[in-house]
Amino acid sequence: MIVLRRKLGQAICLGDDIRIVVTKVESNTRAHLGIEAPESTPVHRLEIYEKIKQENCAATQGDALAWLQGATHDT
Amino acid sequence: MTHKELAWKAIVEVEQSEIFVFPQGMVGFPDTNDFVMLNSGHGDIVCMQATDRAEAAFLLTPWDEHRLGESPKLTSDQLACLQCQDENKLLWLLVLNPFSDVKWVSANLRAPVAINLDSSLGMQCIQANPKLDLHFQWIRQPDPAQQAAEAC
Amino acid sequence: MLILTRAVGETITIGHNIRVTILSIKGTQVRIGIEAPGDVRVLREEIADKRPKKHPEKE
Repeated sequence: MIVLRRKLGQAICLGDDIRIVVTKVESNTRAHLGIEAPESTPVHRLEIYEKIKQENCAATQGDALAWLQGATHDT
Repeated sequence: MTHKELAWKAIVEVEQSEIFVFPQGMVGFPDTNDFVMLNSGHGDIVCMQATDRAEAAFLLTPWDEHRLGESPKLTSDQLACLQCQDENKLLWLLVLNPFSDVKWVSANLRAPVAINLDSSLGMQCIQANPKLDLHFQWIRQPDPAQQAAEAC
Repeated sequence: MLILTRAVGETITIGHNIRVTILSIKGTQVRIGIEAPGDVRVLREEIADKRPKKHPEKE
């Protein structure tokens, strides 16, 4: 992990097209980070990203097509 | 037929060889980008199968406005990713999970899938609203005893 | 620009393989942890601005 100290208003550049700037700091507890990234690059809070990833994995843990064919045997 | 019904019909009748491209893949499957639609003839659910990864097969069903309210909205960046000029033309789909619960097939309302039929591009869109349920009870699991009886 | 509010210890994902974590906050100074693949250049913006631009013919 690369660790950088940034003050309010300062930014970090990642690669050629991502920029992270500290836009606000709240009393030693929270920071507001502005993220500039290309439209094709998704930006998310980690905890929701992980939840969705887990659910996608759960939804594909079995043979989905076999389930579908079994479930519609009677139609 | 409404636009949405037509769009859904287009998906279930699409040639299996037609590839849908998800430039960002699905969440957790970022490098799995090409999918085909496999439909076993069941009206409300298709199987979206990755072309290069057998286990990446997602059951999808259309967003139901009667049950769920208005379909999600995209930002202009997201619309540009899908090369979509008219948001009304998007097909919104839910990922179904038939494996986690014995009684219910659940739908992930928090991360629906948007497909632009004109460009054959798609994207899974994580929604900001924390009230959208990842495990919304969608339909009951088929009754295995009944299925077994019908199979004879 | 998307603005996300994060508490100390919380993380943002950018794309599929970049993680940005708030490690600590002291006054107006924030310690930020970046996890990114080795081929992604991580720079303070004020340095990024001063690096020589690539000569166009070389690209």
